Amino acid sequence: MDRRTFVKAGCIGSASLLMEGLNPMVRADVPPAEVPPIELHGLPDYKASPLGMPGLFPGRVIEVRDPNAIVRNRISQPIVRHMLEHAMTELTGEKSAQAAWAKFVEPNDIVGIKINPSGAPACCSSPEILREIIGAVQSAGVPVRSILIYDRYSYEMDIGSYQTLLPPGVRIVGIQDAFVDSSGYDPNLYCAANFFGEWETRSYMANIVAQVVTKIINVPTMKDHSAAGVTGALKNLAYGTFNNVARSHRAPYSFTNPLIGLMCTVEPLRSKAVLHIMDGMRQVWHGGPLTQVQDFIDQPGILLVATDPVALDTIELEAIEKKRVERGAPSLWQHDANSITTNNDEFFHDASKNLFFRQPGHIAAAGKLGLGVADLKQIDHRPLLA
Amino acid sequence: MMMTIKETAKPKTPDDWPTLLKDNARTGGQGQHPARSPEGAVWRLRTGSSVRSAPILDDGVLYVTSVNGVLHAIDVVTGTSKWKFQAAGQVHSTPSLSGDRILFGCDDGKVYAVDRHAGSKLWEAPTEAEVWASPVVRSGVVFFGSADARVYAVDAASGRTRWVQELAGRIYSTIYAAEHQLYVGCGDGKVYSLDASSGKILWSTLTGNGIDSSPAVAGDLVLIGSEDFWFYALNTSTGEVRWKYETGLGIASSPAVSGDMAVIGSKDGFLYALETQTGRLRWKTGVGEVVTAPPVFGDGVVCIQAGGTFSLDSATGNVVWRAALAGAIQSVPVLAGDTIYLTSLSSEVYALR
Repeated sequence: MDRRTFVKAGCIGSASLLMEGLNPMVRADVPPAEVPPIELHGLPDYKASPLGMPGLFPGRVIEVRDPNAIVRNRISQPIVRHMLEHAMTELTGEKSAQAAWAKFVEPNDIVGIKINPSGAPACCSSPEILREIIGAVQSAGVPVRSILIYDRYSYEMDIGSYQTLLPPGVRIVGIQDAFVDSSGYDPNLYCAANFFGEWETRSYMANIVAQVVTKIINVPTMKDHSAAGVTGALKNLAYGTFNNVARSHRAPYSFTNPLIGLMCTVEPLRSKAVLHIMDGMRQVWHGGPLTQVQDFIDQPGILLVATDPVALDTIELEAIEKKRVERGAPSLWQHDANSITTNNDEFFHDASKNLFFRQPGHIAAAGKLGLGVADLKQIDHRPLLA
Repeated sequence: MMMTIKETAKPKTPDDWPTLLKDNARTGGQGQHPARSPEGAVWRLRTGSSVRSAPILDDGVLYVTSVNGVLHAIDVVTGTSKWKFQAAGQVHSTPSLSGDRILFGCDDGKVYAVDRHAGSKLWEAPTEAEVWASPVVRSGVVFFGSADARVYAVDAASGRTRWVQELAGRIYSTIYAAEHQLYVGCGDGKVYSLDASSGKILWSTLTGNGIDSSPAVAGDLVLIGSEDFWFYALNTSTGEVRWKYETGLGIASSPAVSGDMAVIGSKDGFLYALETQTGRLRWKTGVGEVVTAPPVFGDGVVCIQAGGTFSLDSATGNVVWRAALAGAIQSVPVLAGDTIYLTSLSSEVYALR
């Protein structure tokens, strides 16, 4: 069992998750009949921003690759800087990176950088990429004190050592300190649904998203996900903004489809998420999102940039599916009961096993909600060498 | 008015543990504590919030900070609270004892001094960002780093600032205070040595990434880990790299030193025992969890909180016992006689015997 799993399952997770309504590893006795009604309560009368998802460049995904960006699991700061500048100018058509960033952030913005520290330290949003994003946001005139790095669980951020590794002045915020801590959430903004008979049927939006930041730069990682199929831009935003989301899984079933996409449509989350920078320095093709098993983590040295999270996640899904095929692992779309295990350790060490029937269809479902382009033929995917 | 400061961070009795890793030399619980497995919990106390820091022990009272900003004074016989002090922000800092003062840093940017008997505030020293490092006391001066990238020296009696030295990165590393020199790691990737009386930078040595780890000193070597995956031994006078040892991932843990051996944990899930003079590996043991907390020596054992709590034979690295409790980020067991005190992410404080 990896450390985070231990912490969650052995120390605080299982009891606290039960207090929240559901331990996701409790097995369902019978398959759920169908998706229950899901109520969405966003900010009323919120004026949607044209920068909001799918943003300024629907269907466009810039992929920059440099094999030297990560060598022996260390990331090169100068190469990442060049990759990000290249990607941003290509995405926007601007001549300079500074002009490209100015399309998304203004000096009076409070910029939240939503990271993905789950899976730290093996695979999480890289501090090297975050440093470059912070510098770029500052170059657009945003003071360092107006930049926040955030995620749901502060202890996961601690394991990633973000506090130490990021520049002085940037605020680093864990929305909740423990699983049962709901003080960082807005009681008026929520998604409500009863998936498996849980007693707490609401998932509340984080205050930091609802009230503090004016723009969000989303920095997901490139990982398979035992329940959602992959975790990318959409899931990092949805399940990192709303609390009490583990209740959408009850092994081996999961309602990540359609919950992930629906959550991303809730205002002001949808309008504030203006840019998605996927950290593909490392790529987890099995055991995600929490694995620490290096056998399933490649180091392709990729950066993907888009304003359209659906198109971005579609490209990610294709990449991880391709990798699994290369390695002889079952498709992310496979729904074979024989591949399901209840043994976490078996799952973490055997790529043919899984804990849930994965739901990669959550990406296409988000496309149908207007969050972006899910059809590969319609996606303007631009692979570049740095 | 002249105030008398008792010298601190020196245990009055073998069981006292007044600062991180017991004393300023970070010796841990060597020479007095059994390797046998504890049979069970004598008591358990819930603090109401996660504990990210390590406890300290003095004169039968355990002092614990919890993330919700509370300093707890706990009677070690009964496991009951004697008093609580509420700070104005979250607390991740391990407390330290200076005379009758309990010192700790806070996310509100202050270091607080609290009367150990009454639980009331004596003074506070401001910085401009959170203080997660543990304040270290030597010769009546409190030294600590802040996330505002500065090292502070304040008077232990009054909290008045003696000097401030600006570095180039956030500081979460707890300072090692030798007689004339301070050693500290920094988020800018450098290990610094400062003059203890003025704060002047004596030398700095660059590593390949930021530093969470807190240094230890063994002879003429400063020992410290870096997020660049390497464990360094630097000359105390010059900062020259004498040797370095590569682990599998970043190092946030701090070294424990016993005789000619240092033990360090890595985020790769292993504890490494290295000879201090050469860097030669004596043993390497996986604990199956990411290690970010410092290990601590007991009598013939090394204890580490990494998910659960482990005790390893210090000669071989073999696991002697393990307990599936007290998951931790930076907590360290306090080994006191036949009792082990543990704090955990899940808010509990345990006394095991």
